[in-house]
Amino acid sequence: MWALRGLRQGILTTRWPRHPDEYAAAARGPAAVLRDAHTSGLTELDAAGLCPTAAISLAGPGNVRVDQGACIQCGRCVARYPEIFGWSAGVRSATLSRAQLTMPPAESPAALAELSAGLRQRTRALQRSVHLRHVDAGSDGSEEWEILALLNPVYDIHRLGIFLTASPRHADILLVTGAGAHGMAEPLRETYEAMPHPKVVIAVGTDACGGGLISPSYATAGGIGAIVPVDVWLPGSPPTPFAILSAILLGLGRLPESGLRAAAAGRER
Amino acid sequence: MSGLGAVLAAGLILLAVAAAADLLMGVRHARWRALPYVAGAAGSTCVLAAGAGALAGRSVTVPGSNLLGLVTVASRGGRLVFSATDGLAADRLSGLFLVIAFGAAVPVSLAFASWARTAAAPARRGLGASYALALGAVAVIMTARDAFTFLFGWESLTLAFWLLSGFERERRGRSAAALITLGFGRLSGAALLAGFLLLVSRSGGLSLAALAGVPPGGLRATACVLLLAGFAVKVGLVPFQVWLPRGYAAAPGPARAVMAGVAVNVGFYGLWRTLALLGPPPVAVTDILLILASITAVLGISHAAVQTSLQRVIAYSSVENAGLILAGFGVALVGAAERSSLLMAAGLLAGTLQIVAHTAAKSLLFASSAGVEAAMGTDNLDDLRGSVRRARWSGTGLAIGSLTLAGLPPTAGFVSEWFLLEALMQQFRVTGLSDRLVLAVTGAAVALTAGFAGVAFVRIIGLVVLGQPSRPGTAERCRSGLAGRTGIVLLAAACLVVAALTPLEIRVISAGLAPVVPTHAVSAALKTPWVLQPVFAGFSILSPSWLWIMMPVLLAAVVIVALLASGKGLVRVRRVPAWRSATAGVTGHDSYTAFGFANPTRRVLAAILHTRSAVIRYDSSPAAANGHAADAAHVGFSSDVIEVTEEYLYLPLRRPFRRLVRLAQRLQSGRLDAYLAYMLIALLAVLAVVAGLH
Amino acid sequence: MTATDYEVAPSIPALWDKLAAEIPGAGRLADLFGTQREDGVLLTAQLAGTGGFGTFDVLLPAGQDRYPALTPRVAAAFWYEREIHDLLGVIPVGHPRLEPLVLPTKSEALPRPGNGIHPVSIEPDPGLVPLHAVGPGLFTIPHGPVRSGVVESIEYLVETPGEEIPHLNMRAFYKHRGIEKRFEGMAARDGVVLAERAEGIASVAHAIAYCEAVERAAGASVPWPATLVRVLHAELERLAWHLDVILRLADGSGLAVATARFGWHKEEVLRLTGQLCGSRFGRGVVVPGGVPALPRLAPGPLLTAIGALDRRVTADIRLLMATASFLDRLRRTGPLTSDRAREHGALGPIGRASGYEDDGRRSRPYAAYGSLGFAVPTRQEGDALARLEVRVDDIASSFHLLRQATDELAETGDEQLRAECDLSDGRAVGWAEGPHGEVLYDVSFSGGVLTRCRTRSASFHNLVLMHEVFRGDILTDFPFIEASFGLSIAGVAG
Repeated sequence: MWALRGLRQGILTTRWPRHPDEYAAAARGPAAVLRDAHTSGLTELDAAGLCPTAAISLAGPGNVRVDQGACIQCGRCVARYPEIFGWSAGVRSATLSRAQLTMPPAESPAALAELSAGLRQRTRALQRSVHLRHVDAGSDGSEEWEILALLNPVYDIHRLGIFLTASPRHADILLVTGAGAHGMAEPLRETYEAMPHPKVVIAVGTDACGGGLISPSYATAGGIGAIVPVDVWLPGSPPTPFAILSAILLGLGRLPESGLRAAAAGRER
Repeated sequence: MSGLGAVLAAGLILLAVAAAADLLMGVRHARWRALPYVAGAAGSTCVLAAGAGALAGRSVTVPGSNLLGLVTVASRGGRLVFSATDGLAADRLSGLFLVIAFGAAVPVSLAFASWARTAAAPARRGLGASYALALGAVAVIMTARDAFTFLFGWESLTLAFWLLSGFERERRGRSAAALITLGFGRLSGAALLAGFLLLVSRSGGLSLAALAGVPPGGLRATACVLLLAGFAVKVGLVPFQVWLPRGYAAAPGPARAVMAGVAVNVGFYGLWRTLALLGPPPVAVTDILLILASITAVLGISHAAVQTSLQRVIAYSSVENAGLILAGFGVALVGAAERSSLLMAAGLLAGTLQIVAHTAAKSLLFASSAGVEAAMGTDNLDDLRGSVRRARWSGTGLAIGSLTLAGLPPTAGFVSEWFLLEALMQQFRVTGLSDRLVLAVTGAAVALTAGFAGVAFVRIIGLVVLGQPSRPGTAERCRSGLAGRTGIVLLAAACLVVAALTPLEIRVISAGLAPVVPTHAVSAALKTPWVLQPVFAGFSILSPSWLWIMMPVLLAAVVIVALLASGKGLVRVRRVPAWRSATAGVTGHDSYTAFGFANPTRRVLAAILHTRSAVIRYDSSPAAANGHAADAAHVGFSSDVIEVTEEYLYLPLRRPFRRLVRLAQRLQSGRLDAYLAYMLIALLAVLAVVAGLH
Repeated sequence: MTATDYEVAPSIPALWDKLAAEIPGAGRLADLFGTQREDGVLLTAQLAGTGGFGTFDVLLPAGQDRYPALTPRVAAAFWYEREIHDLLGVIPVGHPRLEPLVLPTKSEALPRPGNGIHPVSIEPDPGLVPLHAVGPGLFTIPHGPVRSGVVESIEYLVETPGEEIPHLNMRAFYKHRGIEKRFEGMAARDGVVLAERAEGIASVAHAIAYCEAVERAAGASVPWPATLVRVLHAELERLAWHLDVILRLADGSGLAVATARFGWHKEEVLRLTGQLCGSRFGRGVVVPGGVPALPRLAPGPLLTAIGALDRRVTADIRLLMATASFLDRLRRTGPLTSDRAREHGALGPIGRASGYEDDGRRSRPYAAYGSLGFAVPTRQEGDALARLEVRVDDIASSFHLLRQATDELAETGDEQLRAECDLSDGRAVGWAEGPHGEVLYDVSFSGGVLTRCRTRSASFHNLVLMHEVFRGDILTDFPFIEASFGLSIAGVAG
């Protein structure tokens, strides 16, 4: 009965990343400064009070910087100054270093290439079959839904040779969500130690990258960067499944880093 | 006395020396504690040599006139004649069983010698003497030529068992165990006495050969049944198996190996000898025996799988093996009734192979468990986890013995179980319908037993020998001495190597079974020099020697391929603690315990075991009755099994038995005139009977 | 009872007497929390009734750190008093089990919500949580905090003799984030952003509860179209949550096609939500005063989308409820007795499956629920199957509500979507019926800045019942019981 019903539906799975997917292209990432924006109208006072996580700062007259690692996608900046701020593309928001998350990027291309090469060297053996292990270090629950969504027939990561595993001893990639609650620091470290080399750690979500709106708090560490060494940073609150998939593929070296960090795509809609 | 007879006598003398050494010197001097057992080992070696000689066909006799003071009374032609006993002599059957029993007795004695020097050994004299008495009694039984010597040896063995199992009488439950052992020993002795007397009354002489000449009829059948019953009590057939777990578990240290590994073979020897002398019993008796054997096997392994004490697991496994061996014996009885020597050979061969495997494995298990108990200080399975770290040799011995009794290739237990199942499968060749049905049922029961044996012994290997140690154990790691290690190595080698050399073993057995079944029938089990078949051709084949070659070769091949494919990566090892989902920690057991592992078995076999489980709630205050869970231990769980024969057969008999005893106690008035009156009445009664008979 | 009654009780025993008298009858203990003030600790109890909540404050003067516990008289206060003890350091005398629940620490610098001082860092000390002891014959399987599968962190200590589970223990302190403390000092207007992230998969419910509280305090009334949009998103969130529960149950029983199909349905719901407001979880939709914009799909296409979704989901649910092997796993698994549900005041589907119904949409209507028609059925068996059936009925109800809300939206004109809210001073209570049960907020602000924002999610109230639903269930029933509860640990740990 179930099998027949399933067959009748046809193929629902996206063919991303081989072929473009319009939902993936439209998926919303963190806020970013628009490419040809006129930022001179923004005063320092405006910039300071605009973002609840202080992700927006003015590095000089007209030089607006957005720290995407702190953007919780509340949309206030986009609503208030739609001519300056817009949404970046979700599938291109993952980076290999924390400094890369500030827009415009501050890391030099040489350092970036080195990081990228190092990562690719480490994950040489992981090309065809990769196992993910997830640890919740104090998330709000939505990132777990988005990670689990990767298993549904629409995304179906099994077709890419990526699987979820229950034991960290079998895992290659560690997905960590959450702002780094102190109670989970030790379990997270133990999980990291339990994984065999080579391993890749992906900080999934703005909470994991920089603490999000939860930090500063007496109970969290402001992101997981202080607890385990992170290889891939993925902002978003929560990041869409396509964004998570792009971060995994970036961590495996299957997506080129260059070209990911273009300035935000055009406005929304 | 022949040369080998002198060797046999020397062996018996060495055993007597061992007993004397123990009684005279006691345990005060640490250096001499092992002496009785070393002497016992030497004596066992002599007896073993004599047995091997007898098996080879040499003459082994110790005439009665050379044994002091053993006088028998015989009735020949109506006159009472006093004569010396016929002495001791070993024919091939005796030689076979002497080899089996004393082949195990030597390593067990070595283990005993090593154990006696540890702190776990008891602090008073007498153990060595009891041990020597047991071994001496076994030798006498197996080489007895007449009924008197046989019974004398039997009663001595019962006495030795009582002394051994009651040695640590002050510990809880031991005196009751000793009493029950003694009781059942006397019961078997009484049955044997009755059987023998029935036969002697017709045969006119006490010698065993003469007993074979009794004409067939009701008397012979009754005597045969009585003898079979007596021997069955000794080996532990249902419903007489209740003394085995208690008696074996109550004995100290490797004495259990002597009782369960060496001495139990007298029961099997008696059964084999009965078949040789008197032939098969009536068909109904054979069927009942087969049914009882299957019940014994299933009951024994069911209990072995759920016990919480290591010694009891091993003791119940003895019950199970008794059932298996008697199943093989039953097939031989059916074959004898059908006059099919091939079927008889199949059954006897299966039974004897199982005896060999059981002797080696049981001795190994009990000797190793003594070492483990000394090292860990406890007998509870849940506290014995990881014992191979504390007692390496004993732990390994425990593992190998468990593998053998679980019937896993390539051990000897696998071969014997294969033979047994194959022998039972020959039931289609039998003509009698009742026999066929019973054989089929027995075959199913044996297969079920084999399955649960796997469960029972996996628990021992996985959760007792291996695993993370949960207790710190005794202060110093118990190092078994050289003798102990030698003993364990010899027994383990027996378990393993005998399997590889099964064709040789079959040839030896065929020589030994010559008094019972023609040699060519047993040798028919050898299809080619290295391939075995269940006596009947064209049915199935097995080659344990080939297994012994192929399994290591395959293992080596896998390792080599893995090394080649993964390069150096295969041998890089990182030692880390087990992954426990990053928990903050719990007290007590945090992974499967031996008790928990047996829980599904308790549930599945609830019909046989009459399992009763209960969740005990500790806290019953109103606040907690709301269900709010406190961190103090809130609930406990208890699960109990019942021995069905005890519960439903023996316990109801207690009250009438007590009444009878109270009645008899009235005769013990303590008054001299009453006792004189009793003697007078008894004398008058005997005179009346004798006068009446003539 | 009007919307919110504030009463200051004369003394703690008097208040406890009142609660103990009212709760066994028609009342229900909805919340019990503490606020640190200069003159001591203010304990607040919320009593649920038709139409609203009764809020009772009582002061524990400064210098006193003990008070008689409420739990021996009202069992539902069990975890609340433990949380108060953890965060504020006051000791309820007579509490049957006073051990750390959300924050095990010996440090003097406790969070003390309400005093405006933010401690820098408080590390939890797992050594203060008593090591779990088992009785004879049992052993413990520690499950967590890093559990198999993609789930939130909590540790379950499963005591078992080998197959059955006679007893279960929980440790929930691992993912404590200090949300309540984080609210303090935020602008009242911005608090909704944090409220959405208190329990990320119930963002809309939390946002509605928070906004209802501040709107009630400011005396603002939300325009009609805004209430309809709120209902729309709340019901979409309910759909997604219930589909997630069904997904986990099907996964646990190995129905691969059902798991895949319900995963697809849930994805469609999330995509629809994202299409309407830009965020897959409905974040940014509910703001104080109303909503920022209308849904981005016109009512016509929206109705079509809802209809298509309804047809597919209902057909699959019908097939699932006819799969005997699946239902067998749930029948008589994890039963919660009606008496216990009533005594505790179990919220949401858990309570409704055991015959206790107190749905906020019906008893204390908010947003547009008072004007829309919907059914809230109950069951009596209280086992996992009953909880699933209640959720199935909820799904049908949600679709009905979605259609009604869309129809009504089609008839509204170009009205204002957002009312003016004066958020300078006030205190009020706001509630919303999330997919898992009632979400309750008690918000106080002065000078436009939050001084105390209490969030109580249904997860915190309900999870304690997990101790009591294991009756002869075996280890393989555990995932079904956990999935049928359908709670979010982020709401438990705070």
